[in-house]
Amino acid sequence: MEFAWTPEHRAFRQRLRDVLAANLPDNWPVVSNGYDNGSDASVAFSRKFCPILAEEGLLIPHWPKENGGGGLDAFHHWILGEEMWGVGEPRAYQYMSINWVGPAIIKFGTPEQQAEHLPRICGGTISYCQGFSEPGAGSDLAALRTRAEPTGDGRYIVNGQKIWTSAASFADACILLARTGAERHAGISMFIVPMDLPGITVRVIPGMQGERAMHEVFFDDVEVGPECLLGTENGGWKVATEVLANERIGVPRYALTWRGFNKALEHLRLDGRLENAAIRARAARCEAALKAARLAALGVINARIHHRPADVSVNVARYAAVWADRQVVEFLGDFAGDLLFYDVDAVVTAAYKRATSIGIGAGAAEVQLNLVSRNLLQMPRGNA
Amino acid sequence: MDFDLTQDQQQIEDALAQMVERHSVLPVGDPSYVKTSPELDRDLKASGFLNIAREEGLGDLEAVMLIEAVAKIPYASEVAATALVAPNVTARELPGPVALTRLPLGGPIRFLAPGGTLLVDTGVDVRVIALTSENVAPAASIYNFPYGRLVGVDPSTAPVLEGAHPEEFRRCWRLGLAAEIVGAMDVSIATTVAYVKERKAFNQPLGAFQAIQHRLSECAVMLNSARLLTREAAWSGQPKAAALAASYAQEAAAKVVYDCQQFHGAIGLTLEYPLHYWTYRLRQLQGELGGPVILAQAAADMSYAANQPIGDPFGGDALN
Repeated sequence: MEFAWTPEHRAFRQRLRDVLAANLPDNWPVVSNGYDNGSDASVAFSRKFCPILAEEGLLIPHWPKENGGGGLDAFHHWILGEEMWGVGEPRAYQYMSINWVGPAIIKFGTPEQQAEHLPRICGGTISYCQGFSEPGAGSDLAALRTRAEPTGDGRYIVNGQKIWTSAASFADACILLARTGAERHAGISMFIVPMDLPGITVRVIPGMQGERAMHEVFFDDVEVGPECLLGTENGGWKVATEVLANERIGVPRYALTWRGFNKALEHLRLDGRLENAAIRARAARCEAALKAARLAALGVINARIHHRPADVSVNVARYAAVWADRQVVEFLGDFAGDLLFYDVDAVVTAAYKRATSIGIGAGAAEVQLNLVSRNLLQMPRGNA
Repeated sequence: MDFDLTQDQQQIEDALAQMVERHSVLPVGDPSYVKTSPELDRDLKASGFLNIAREEGLGDLEAVMLIEAVAKIPYASEVAATALVAPNVTARELPGPVALTRLPLGGPIRFLAPGGTLLVDTGVDVRVIALTSENVAPAASIYNFPYGRLVGVDPSTAPVLEGAHPEEFRRCWRLGLAAEIVGAMDVSIATTVAYVKERKAFNQPLGAFQAIQHRLSECAVMLNSARLLTREAAWSGQPKAAALAASYAQEAAAKVVYDCQQFHGAIGLTLEYPLHYWTYRLRQLQGELGGPVILAQAAADMSYAANQPIGDPFGGDALN
């Protein structure tokens, strides 16, 4: 076991910091509307910034070279995530392309799909949204009802509604789960659908997590061609499982929480509050939880590097991250309520705001516990 | 960065697992609060494991693996002080068992026994006391550790252990404590998971109830976190990491003990059923060195003091 970064990892982090320092607008926490990666300013900046990262070889350092990546190990991917998420994600929602949409296309896409999508992902010029959740299918994702009716000549007619979809109003394409058969899991297919197709309507849902973080997306007789099917017809659950494994440990969410937490501690130290022994103890306990979340996530990345398939350690790590964020939110609420305003400290407030959603997005915390129970503890299934 | 065990560490882990298995058989019909085993003590001595931290190329991390493994054994045997604390503070081989305490002296001391050694943290140095039947009185315990009471000795007049730094002494004590908790939590959770799969109520195994599944899953997540924090602290050798690991482990222990006792119902309260060998150990360990709040304060004292920047959690070589 070795718990230290190599000189290459450290140099990579430093390069990222240099590029961020050279490119992030002055007063970025405020310009980005409190690290809101759905804000106009953030999305506009991401369209300029992602091609710069691509140019510098920093956008997709960890993909295989034959797919347009840098061929570096997965810890580089994680360092990239920490540095970006920790400053409010200046890639806006393009992290999704890099973390899980692209890998799914590499694994399940046809040569034509790869030729169409991968160069745009690698160039930082395409943004996706994720059409998974529905009004009646959230944690119970396989209950989804959006239907893609085969027309018999390879095309599909899509009807249904997606909800809570992040970035839908400015994404170029949607990875869409839709029902093509009757069977619960084996009747679902995955599509990549351009968002400008006739019949797609998007409505923004104003939300606590930021601008354009949640939408409703309606599909009314949307015609999609066979080129949109990712994987096989009725084979979408496998693709979705892969996507979710990458999504659950795809974003180092603790990175922003930790930076916000540390910034709060600076305030508390400056005004003397941190001299209180009770506050100091609570702070250190938050730090232990954050560190545990980071170690658990790095353990998942470590397994990727050793070519082991994703397993229940993903769910364990995700719950550790939820736990850490909860500790920090409670700490800030208990001791630093006066800091939680954008004009007092945009970073602390952004971290506080974001942390509330960590146990909900990408599979509720309780779903993670179900999976830990089933796959790690191998508990029996029951009626209650 | 590599979270996988090295080949050497894997061999050690395998050998330790065999040792745990060898010494996990309890005699039927001999319930007691405290279990000790001369065979285990002999096995530990003969195996050379107690010198693991002094071996070339091995160190605190391997010692932590040993401590964690021995904490899984129902028989109590002192290893943390002998295999981890002593090698880091003195070149002397101290007669075991080695007991640890600090001033002001409290009540009975874990592993205090004639023939062994007591190390005392006075705050400014470490004192060493050779233990005899003259200065140790046995103390009854319900916590599956042998305890003794120091009599007729004033530790502040005992000889100083030359070269021993109290900060390093504390770091190792905290680290060993964290590893002991990890081992005991591991068995407590595994025992409980096995039990709730067997025990039926309301026409299904207890383990099929989501209320129970979620709480034990939380225990498993916290165990994983405590183990990672402990191993990282062992690898880095950082005093703050050790304090954080011990504090986190103690906090987790309180939850694990409650849930494991709770899901066992009355059978977990019997001396015949082995759960108490680990959960009652945890009840003592969760408060050792002041408990999770005091140890968190100790970690905070190393972080938020004076004018050192709090700023960047991800800079530097280590995982802080």
